[in-house]
Amino acid sequence: MPSVTISSPDLYKEGPILEVHFLIPLELEKKLKEEGKEIPSPVIVKSLIDTGASNCVVKKEIPEQLRLEPTGVIKINTPSSKEHECYQYFMRMVIPTHGLIYQGPFIGAPLDGQEISGLMGRDLLKHSILIYIGYNNQFTLSMA
Amino acid sequence: MEKKLNLELKTYEENKQNLLNSDRSKFVLIKGDAIIGTYDTYDDAIKVGIDKFSNKSFLVKQILEVEPTGNFTSNLIKIVSPCLQ
Repeated sequence: MPSVTISSPDLYKEGPILEVHFLIPLELEKKLKEEGKEIPSPVIVKSLIDTGASNCVVKKEIPEQLRLEPTGVIKINTPSSKEHECYQYFMRMVIPTHGLIYQGPFIGAPLDGQEISGLMGRDLLKHSILIYIGYNNQFTLSMA
Repeated sequence: MEKKLNLELKTYEENKQNLLNSDRSKFVLIKGDAIIGTYDTYDDAIKVGIDKFSNKSFLVKQILEVEPTGNFTSNLIKIVSPCLQ
């Protein structure tokens, strides 16, 4: 089971943040290659593991950069909004240095501040093991 | 400008009751006003969609009586304007 362990002296302040690569889905990459079309470059951003998020989220601009079209619409509830409709995109998220790959739906939404461009929600965590050792400023994410 | 997936969502609503009767909890793939098929998993429906339509928009939706919502406790998501365009 591939895993990544991060030690951060500011884990308490920042939360469990990982640098991840967003790409088009593997099946689409294969299809575009067959069609002789250009493959969009990966978008490399910081993403927060968020147990308070039911679903994975990316900044709206990321699927646009990957030239992806939406494959769904979902209503979301946040502390400041109720049943707000957002697009969902089928995307691939990779941590190449550790061989972690997740492919699934990501909600495109505006994310504010702290240089965080993605939230890794419980839909991803249901395939994962998350170990958070607060007193050691360390966390580990393993994904099946 | 019409919102993306508007026609697909309309097609779903028009056929929702029939889909609930025949394929409840499965995943339906819709392109325009056509129902392409229903599938056991989300991934299966997406893979057929990509195979047929490449990177053009299509809708994959689980056939459920009540629509699920996404719930977020943190303040990171800032909704200031409509997300759908």
